[in-house]
Amino acid sequence: MEREVVPWDNPEPLRGPVGVPLVDLLDRVLATGVVVSGDLVIAIADVPLVRLSLHALLSSVNERVPAPWADGGPL
Amino acid sequence: MTDRETEQVSAESALYVFAVCRLPDPTAFAGLPGVAVGEALRRLRFGELTAIVQTVRAADFTDEAWQARMADRGELERYARAHHDVVSAAAASCPTVPLPMATLYHGEERAQQALLAETERFLAALRRTADHSEWGVKVYTAAPAVSVPARTRPATSPGSSRPTPGAGLAYLERKRGAQAQRERRHEDSLRLAETVDAAFQGLAAAGRRLRLHVPETTGTSHVQVLNATYLVAEHRAAELGPLTRALQESTGARIDVSGPWVPYSFVGEV
Repeated sequence: MEREVVPWDNPEPLRGPVGVPLVDLLDRVLATGVVVSGDLVIAIADVPLVRLSLHALLSSVNERVPAPWADGGPL
Repeated sequence: MTDRETEQVSAESALYVFAVCRLPDPTAFAGLPGVAVGEALRRLRFGELTAIVQTVRAADFTDEAWQARMADRGELERYARAHHDVVSAAAASCPTVPLPMATLYHGEERAQQALLAETERFLAALRRTADHSEWGVKVYTAAPAVSVPARTRPATSPGSSRPTPGAGLAYLERKRGAQAQRERRHEDSLRLAETVDAAFQGLAAAGRRLRLHVPETTGTSHVQVLNATYLVAEHRAAELGPLTRALQESTGARIDVSGPWVPYSFVGEV
């Protein structure tokens, strides 16, 4: 039953699966739940800035190659 | 090395903080590379908590360097996965609060001071996420996203039954039909997202909606109508499978569930 839910093979609980799609990973590691402010991170993790670049990244990638990270994904 | 050189070196290094834990097992992340070459991951104690940190070159984490990295998919992926690997390894060994990618301090003392000041929030996050995991839920419409060319207007369109009273009128009716169809589809999508979200909220301790992925990044022609993530108690995780299947059957939509994730999305709220 677990196997049907988890779209990748997950050797240990909470271990980052290699096949996890980048787009899902970025949803989580890019400051979605900021707890603290770092010293140098202020400009780096400024969310609009990151989102903007990310958007540009995703768009430009899409035009050149079809969703390269979908390969390892659950789709 | 002279004093000035020492100062120079310390000015050029920064401390990258991956996560905050209660009592991390140092062997849990011993073999991981982290985000810097040749620098071991280590623990940094502050009060009753411990951070997992790595010394990095400050020059690698300037705004400019980061912007360049964000524009390079390979580099971005390398950093994201390196960060995620350390966070996941820590979480496998002890209760963990993951920090966002690229949280940096000027040095150990500065990091200790800043993290210590946030101790209450870390403890609150640890309490909130104890014995819980994060699960991602993505919902796609049943029908593939086809752009609607004018000739695929519904057969019921009044214009189609007439001979050819006027090309202009037929055109307007086609446009209206297409517009109505778009609106209907949009409303259906919203309703579908609400239905699935409500069902998972009923099972979860908390839920968050994330930005929707554009079709090109999902590798499917189906339109994503919900990208959400939920904090689910471990003893209820087994209910996710049956709930997902029931929702797929009742809505006809495709629902992808991923997890368990370290609760990245649920450590920042109070």
